[in-house]
Amino acid sequence: MKKSKVVSLTEAMQEVHNGDCIVLGGVVEDRRPMGAAYELIRQGKKNLILLGECSLAEDVLVGAGCVVAYRGTYSAIGAFGISPSTKRFIEAGKIVVDDIGHTDVCLGAMAAMAGSPFIATRTTFGTDVLNPAYDNVAKIRNLARNPKTLPAKKYVLMEDPFYGTGTVQLHPAMRIDVHIIHVQYVGEEGTVRIDGSLVFDHFAAHAAKKVIITAEQVVPEEYLRRDPNRNQIPCTSVDMVVELPWGAHPGQLLNFYDMDIPFLTEYVGKARTEEGFREWADSWVFGVKNHLEYMDKLGASRLEKIRALPPFGYRPRMRGGSK
Amino acid sequence: MMSEKFLKAGDFTAAEAMIIYGSRMLAPFNGKVGIIGIGAPLLATQLAKLLHCPDMKMIVETGQADANPQEVPISIMDSRLTYGSSWQMGDPEGLFPLMRGEIDFGFIGGAQIDKYGNLNSTFIGTDYNKPHKRLAGTAGAVDIGGYAKATIITMAHQKRRILEKVDYLTTPGWMVKKWPEGTMVRREEIGLPGGPIAFISSMGIMKFDDQTKIMYVDQYFPGVDPKAIKENTGFDIDISRAREADPIEREEIRVLREIADPLNIYRTR
Repeated sequence: MKKSKVVSLTEAMQEVHNGDCIVLGGVVEDRRPMGAAYELIRQGKKNLILLGECSLAEDVLVGAGCVVAYRGTYSAIGAFGISPSTKRFIEAGKIVVDDIGHTDVCLGAMAAMAGSPFIATRTTFGTDVLNPAYDNVAKIRNLARNPKTLPAKKYVLMEDPFYGTGTVQLHPAMRIDVHIIHVQYVGEEGTVRIDGSLVFDHFAAHAAKKVIITAEQVVPEEYLRRDPNRNQIPCTSVDMVVELPWGAHPGQLLNFYDMDIPFLTEYVGKARTEEGFREWADSWVFGVKNHLEYMDKLGASRLEKIRALPPFGYRPRMRGGSK
Repeated sequence: MMSEKFLKAGDFTAAEAMIIYGSRMLAPFNGKVGIIGIGAPLLATQLAKLLHCPDMKMIVETGQADANPQEVPISIMDSRLTYGSSWQMGDPEGLFPLMRGEIDFGFIGGAQIDKYGNLNSTFIGTDYNKPHKRLAGTAGAVDIGGYAKATIITMAHQKRRILEKVDYLTTPGWMVKKWPEGTMVRREEIGLPGGPIAFISSMGIMKFDDQTKIMYVDQYFPGVDPKAIKENTGFDIDISRAREADPIEREEIRVLREIADPLNIYRTR
């Protein structure tokens, strides 16, 4: 019997240290490691540096005071508006921000995945992303537990020496301390099968020093190994595995559940104020001891309403889905 | 008597007009490949595929190739985008075709637009570190506006959003910043292809002058006074070339209301 990587959520989140640079998998409110984010809040993490985006899963961490800086491409929650806690904290100057492009995030993860310190590209030319006045990379680097995780500068311009195509940007690799990804299926040894968009998790998993998978279902490795082409992250890149059903609630998880629109609407409404956020967190994060209690509090009928239907993988709105 | 085929002003909302005229802009892109932003662009694209360009291929930046959602999605990685697409990978596979020069057009929104079609979706105010209003950030807009072979922009027409100059240049229009100095240059000078070909607002269709690249009113929607467009624009926009847009057809509003968004998820009515 090979060694199992399955641990409890509590143990897994203890691997995240104050001041770490972290990436949370998925995007917006889709396939987000929400159960893991709630546990990070319960464990009282501080000074986290968020890379990639600052959407739903990150916003709860910001609201709970776990975050010191954010470097990435997106600080909204789709149709639910600008990430409410993030907006509040940035407008008060309470977290340091450094905006980069969406392709930059992918390229940064790709460079780190390839073991390269940087990559040449023409992304964000012509825009204020390259404005030196808005370059906060050095400031964020000083806040990191391990400053070498972050680059010394935002970019360098140079002429293409190979094909003579003009000016290019040397863009630094996106190094990551911990990458936490929620997925549909994982084996006990860490083989991952994702349904739906991979976002850039299939790159970032190789760019991170530590990879923690939370999954709807921990299944036998043998089952996933019958068809390895259908797996996107290998066991060799995964450090810990946690079984966490409904772990992406209130967001969507293709083939498992749709978004819980009333829950999301309530969250973005409350998180607009410090008091509202505290009330929400007291109820949904601190008001439950663990993820099982969170599920009990949600209740079976609420979850049944958002259960996905085959073949679509979501809950069609005409068939009871939330609107 | 008004023909049954066309609607009068008052038979549709400004938001519906924006979606319908936006969808008409896609008619020339049948058989082409576009990257579409979530929100008004996505709904207009859904309508366009039903009415004008059934063979237009939509790529989404979270890695769906030729996405064919059966219900209108509300999120960039909405599960509704996956079912029925040709390929489902991730963000790199969704975005890299832009950098390879393979995307015929992009269709996006924003929070602010300036007279050169530059967009801001990052922050409002003067202090980046303590902004008056923090917005969504670059998302895909910076990449789409930079590297699609043409860009179409859509957003509601409000004076505070259509400006001489944006607070932060997130998405390149026609006059952009050349770094490290930040001097304003024509986009082709720094090797950017494409550029915004039209801005569809809730009042009309704006285009960009061939020579100066400055925005002007090309068409105003039925029931809209071009002077009202001028009053609701934050710079002195040229309305001398404006004509009334072709009327909205009954069939367009029917398909929008009954097929594209039957549950009014996008709150256009």
